[in-house]
Amino acid sequence: MRRALPWVLTVGGALGLVAAFVLTVEKIALLKDPGYTPSCSINPILSCGSVMKTEQAEVFGFPNPLMGVAGFAVVLTVGVVLLAGARPPRWFMLGLQVGATFGVVFVHWLIFQSLYRIGALCPYCMVVWTVTIPVFWYTTLHNLTTGVVPVPRSWRRAVEGAARFHSLVLVAWYLVIVTLVGVEFWDYWRTLL
Amino acid sequence: MAGKRKKNTRPAGGKRTRPTAPKAAPAPPPKRGMSTNLKMTIGLVVAALVAIGVTVYISKSGESTAAATGANDERLVRPDSRKLSTAADGKATLVEFLDFECEACGALYPQTEQLRAEYGDRITFVVRYFPLPGHANGEPAARAVEAAAAQGKFEEMYQKMFETQSSWGEQQTSQDQVFLGFAEELGLDTAAFQAAFADPATAARVQKDQDDGISLGVDRTPTVYFNGEPVDGPSYDTLKDLIDKALAS
Repeated sequence: MRRALPWVLTVGGALGLVAAFVLTVEKIALLKDPGYTPSCSINPILSCGSVMKTEQAEVFGFPNPLMGVAGFAVVLTVGVVLLAGARPPRWFMLGLQVGATFGVVFVHWLIFQSLYRIGALCPYCMVVWTVTIPVFWYTTLHNLTTGVVPVPRSWRRAVEGAARFHSLVLVAWYLVIVTLVGVEFWDYWRTLL
Repeated sequence: MAGKRKKNTRPAGGKRTRPTAPKAAPAPPPKRGMSTNLKMTIGLVVAALVAIGVTVYISKSGESTAAATGANDERLVRPDSRKLSTAADGKATLVEFLDFECEACGALYPQTEQLRAEYGDRITFVVRYFPLPGHANGEPAARAVEAAAAQGKFEEMYQKMFETQSSWGEQQTSQDQVFLGFAEELGLDTAAFQAAFADPATAARVQKDQDDGISLGVDRTPTVYFNGEPVDGPSYDTLKDLIDKALAS
């Protein structure tokens, strides 16, 4: 598990960066020409265009992917730095924890909005969902098991268990989201069968 | 060094300490095989795949509650059913039960539009309203189309609904004002439109289509019948295939 974090950050950061970058480029193209059809707008369900035009796509007054471009570049860099063998001090890892926590909370809010308010799935956004969860999960496990984030004695066994079954928890987490997506858009998936 | 090693090896091959096997046994390789975590993760993935497989299988086996029926079954095409085109020879008749708010119908729409562009009046294209209960504005949308049809703008409103679906679909609030806006854009007499939209007779007309669908076993949208046969997985390709065959006969 301990060896996983640098790789999760490197691969997750890279994929997230690419997805956020593409979304930014598509957003610019959409601003230049409102009639532009983004490369990921396949049909009414799988569509970046309709998702990118919503107000949820710029919660803080600017397009969300700008945060992704900056944030995932940092994640990627931290991953590479860890791969290079650096052992960052506690405050550094705490900073990563804060960023990853913000990311995971934001992403789940976006998942909720996408499924239940907008009613469409944007493929590049889903790449971001997919990588943000393990980035948060492995950062948190690392920080809990190495004492970066203090754990009360009574919680220690739970943390140990979670660390031992790290990928099981991750897959279960994914499956919950896959199930929600499957159920919500069942009418559509059924047409593909 | 060499001597020492010789000394060590001798007993092994000699008479005294015969067992060579235990020598290999006490040194198990450090890898313990698959960890419990990995095993359980793989188990969960497999279980999920099985669950998906079963779901797909069940939904597939339940595919055709919309049973085949004669091409002349009057429940498919009523004299007052809305038609986008009518073929004089009647060789190819396509009946679609649809909900203007259903995304899958919206996904099929550009494909049927392409077919219409290619075949025009060589096919009869019948539209039957089948608003799904889960869609708050599916039924009002059908009434709006029906109200526009009363002023001869059926096709225009039909297209409008699908082309703007993402802007008004999937919402819990009433979109009646949006539909009224469409009527204005199409240059309809808005007072007449509003009257027809609210007229119980219009709702009954939509309901009649839906009742026909239910009686045929339609349980989802889009359900497309081609010459009386429900089409499995309607798309541009599957429909074009059927149309070509029917027209060639």
